[in-house]
Amino acid sequence: MADFLSTYGSLIVSMILAAMLGLSLYLPLMSGQLSLAGAGFYALGGYIAAILSTKVFTTYSGDLYPVSYVLIEMIVAGIAAGALAVIVGILALRLRGVYLALATIAFVEILRVLSLNIDITGGAIGIFGVPQPFGTPIEYLWIALPMLLLSMLFVYRLERVRTGRALIAIREDELAAESIGINPTYHKVLAFMLSAILAGCVGALSAHVLNTWNARQGTFDAAIGHLAFVLVGGSRTFAGPVVGGLALTLLPEALRQLAGINGLPPWLAQFLREGRLILYGLLIVLGAINFPQGLITPAMFKHHRAAKDPTT
Amino acid sequence: MDATLLLQQILNGLAIGSVFALFALGYTLVFSILRVINFSHAAVFTLGAYFTYALTGGAFGFNGLLANAQLPFGLPFPVALVLGNILAGLTAMGIERLAFKPLRARGADPLLALVSSLGVAVVIVNLIQYLVGAELYTFPAETYGALPPAVNFGTAEHPVQVRTTQLIMFVVSLVVLIALTLFINRTKIGTALRAVAEDETTARLLGIDTDKLILLTFFLSGFLGGIAGTLVGASVSISGPYFGIAFGLKGLAVIILGGLGSIPGAVVGGLAIGLAESFVPGQYVAYKEAVAFAFLFIALLIRPQGLLGRAVIRKV
Amino acid sequence: MSKQRSFVVNLMVAVSASALILAACSSATTPNAAVSPTTAPGADAKGDAIPIGIGVAQTSNVALFGQDQVAGAKIAEKWINDNGGINGTPIKLVLQDTAGDENGAINAFQSLINQSKVVAIVGPTLSQQAFAADPIADKAKVPVVAPSNTAKGIPQIGPYIQRVSAPVNAVAPNALKAALKANPDIKKVAVAYAQNDAFSKSETVVFQSVVTSELKLELVTVQTFQTTDTDFTTQATNLLNAKVDLVVISGLAADSGNLVKQLRDLGYKGLIVGGNGLNTPNLFTVCKAQCDGIFVAQAYSADTDNPVNKAFRDAYMADQKKTPSQFAGQTFTGVQVIAEALRAVDKKSKLSGMTLEQIRTELNSTLKSGMKFTTPLGVISFDNQGEILQTQFYVAQVKMDADGKAGKFVFLNN
Repeated sequence: MADFLSTYGSLIVSMILAAMLGLSLYLPLMSGQLSLAGAGFYALGGYIAAILSTKVFTTYSGDLYPVSYVLIEMIVAGIAAGALAVIVGILALRLRGVYLALATIAFVEILRVLSLNIDITGGAIGIFGVPQPFGTPIEYLWIALPMLLLSMLFVYRLERVRTGRALIAIREDELAAESIGINPTYHKVLAFMLSAILAGCVGALSAHVLNTWNARQGTFDAAIGHLAFVLVGGSRTFAGPVVGGLALTLLPEALRQLAGINGLPPWLAQFLREGRLILYGLLIVLGAINFPQGLITPAMFKHHRAAKDPTT
Repeated sequence: MDATLLLQQILNGLAIGSVFALFALGYTLVFSILRVINFSHAAVFTLGAYFTYALTGGAFGFNGLLANAQLPFGLPFPVALVLGNILAGLTAMGIERLAFKPLRARGADPLLALVSSLGVAVVIVNLIQYLVGAELYTFPAETYGALPPAVNFGTAEHPVQVRTTQLIMFVVSLVVLIALTLFINRTKIGTALRAVAEDETTARLLGIDTDKLILLTFFLSGFLGGIAGTLVGASVSISGPYFGIAFGLKGLAVIILGGLGSIPGAVVGGLAIGLAESFVPGQYVAYKEAVAFAFLFIALLIRPQGLLGRAVIRKV
Repeated sequence: MSKQRSFVVNLMVAVSASALILAACSSATTPNAAVSPTTAPGADAKGDAIPIGIGVAQTSNVALFGQDQVAGAKIAEKWINDNGGINGTPIKLVLQDTAGDENGAINAFQSLINQSKVVAIVGPTLSQQAFAADPIADKAKVPVVAPSNTAKGIPQIGPYIQRVSAPVNAVAPNALKAALKANPDIKKVAVAYAQNDAFSKSETVVFQSVVTSELKLELVTVQTFQTTDTDFTTQATNLLNAKVDLVVISGLAADSGNLVKQLRDLGYKGLIVGGNGLNTPNLFTVCKAQCDGIFVAQAYSADTDNPVNKAFRDAYMADQKKTPSQFAGQTFTGVQVIAEALRAVDKKSKLSGMTLEQIRTELNSTLKSGMKFTTPLGVISFDNQGEILQTQFYVAQVKMDADGKAGKFVFLNN
């Protein structure tokens, strides 16, 4: 067990972080807004934590960086990301569908290029030597797991209160929602801001988990990855992005481990080692085709008594 | 800014912009018919360049399953360009059958096609690497025969040098664009394509075989994307299996800027981004990528449906 | 309530199934003996071969370097085992792909350390990845020899980290002096660098300060590009308009090669100096005949005159049909210094009588003891921080065949 935890500690923590990034993308999607800006807020949060912990909070007693400082960084990152999100949101949320997706990608790219060019973010090398609040990677679960559970609980509740229902109403039909007195702009910006706060907090924690932060963290690729979490997991219930984030982060590592099993024919072991991403891509295609609603669908909750659905 | 520099920058912008346009048209064609973005398009761009390289008799490197592979013959570049990208077009048809049709058949969320085509892109990129390694490949210097490396559009004192490969990029793109426009506007199949793009259900009621047309669209898309990849590959080099991925995002910016599903929009968008990038002053070249996207962001705020896109009527 | 339960059940099934897969795999791959490798298929391990981890990028867009590093490491494995292994016990490489990202590097390192129980790791490919993964190895007290991390601060990550890749300030200036020797009339200089590449960015700082402070030349323009760029007409045009006598480029092979090609196409006739990123035969396939004459700063030269380099070079040429690159040479060196330090440890007290932890600690202190290694990089040692002390740096000039198909680095004596 100790061996298992030391080998997979980092992986388990990164799976949980991925689940939260999925949730972050899911929030605006509740109101039908496909925003990929999360990667940018994630990058921003990471930079804030990396800068605070290496340049500001440099005096503390003991070997380990105080957990309370990490929490402060996360709060600062959340506030900064939320504030920026309100500005970007008011500007961009007039756009719809793919246009909004691309506008938010433009935002992510602009942030990336900025972080490559200004001094405080360390250019291409980024910021390194981010201090560790824990002795082993698995202990990050003390922060990550409650954070995931809280954000899941939050979104779960949100889906059932007035504000959340308003978001879903906007997704289903914006004009109809507006006609019954829902303010679409307010609700969309709200969802966008909540999403940014979550992404910013996750970024702040990730900077510690990764020991370092650089411009390669918040990119187009990362944003598309987060989108895949949601769509593979299921975009109609908060559980979908969580499962999608966990599964898609685990998959390449599980394939890596398959290659190490004793007694495989050499060609197969070699294929698994060097070609495992081919399988990964293939599984994504097959997953999308066979589970067009995502792995987790709302139907699973509603008809669980009669759940004879062979796909579960 | 003096006149020669201005002219130089316009020529540079047009050359790269025309390739952006060619590449982006592949996205646009598929989008206009299926209302989905095909994320595997950038991988097909790469594949087209590899196919053409192989057909010209180029040798592969010393890594991967097919280490040292080389065809026993070498075709002249123009022939290889056409044949190689017919292969790219056929691959795109295969992608349609594998990753798009099953989703349509199940009536899935169109967004899901993003994910399945993304999966296909991952497969293609890694398959290339598994088979022929991550090496760089360059077309031989004699690809364009005895043409000089650059042509001077200015005077001896005020040279406006344009590389021959850029001119070829521009000319080939232009020819393909014109041919495509004629095909879509003047032929029966083109009319049918436009009908499907306008309203698939009605088109089907009119007896148009939409399934065949979708296949044709993917073929055209793959063919155009592959040509764009080959032209860029011949102008610079094929920088490995991830060659096209950097273009993927740029291509998306182009079609959004031009207006989704609009063919003239893709051309205008491509040229606009090419020109915008070439006018970034030297000392700010570090911000070049950001300029293209800031341009896009602002353009979208002013015209949410893109430069030449039609405003979509929202349902009431 | 039933709704929540249904979800919780689903989630638990998903997570526990994943955990089971991993657990099954980890038990399948974790051998009982402490120092015994995962017997990967095709290995003729006699059961007790000493595992050395190679964690480099075999996939992703940095695989171009990673695959060369793997080639170098494999040649080292064979060469060491052909020469008696570790006093009779063979070594065995365990390869784990780091891909190109930080998470991938962390996962690969964790797997090498905890599952494969390697005595030391050679890797990762990128400096950014090193900043993420090296602290983990350092905390686990597993020696790391970095084969290609040149950023400032790598050996300072911790006592278990060392590198065989010389930092940029040691390598870069020589090439400038060689160019000035070739044309003493150089007055105006332009610099171009890949702005998203950590190495190029630090290298250009060194280049620029040598140009202005040491050589007192006029720095007319600084151009930047991205390693992923393919179109360099803007930069090339700007460089031409600046009417300089020397262009200094810091970048990687593909982007720099393209910049050179486009610069020459447009009629640039002056000299070109390339940074260490251009020190790879991959450059030749990009700019072909137009590569001719570029001065390149080298941390590894295939012409190094010692028997180890000769053995390495011959094996590499037989395998890859081209002269070895710096990436392959440095990775070979990484494996070699680990093996030679292990031999020294074994001479003092038998490895078979030591625990894995003792071997790792002893190996690390031996590496840092100032022990001298004769490697393809020349005679090297490490200082007490883990920084490489390399005595020989090189400047070469690219010489292409008339048809531009093949080329070589011609070693310059300066």
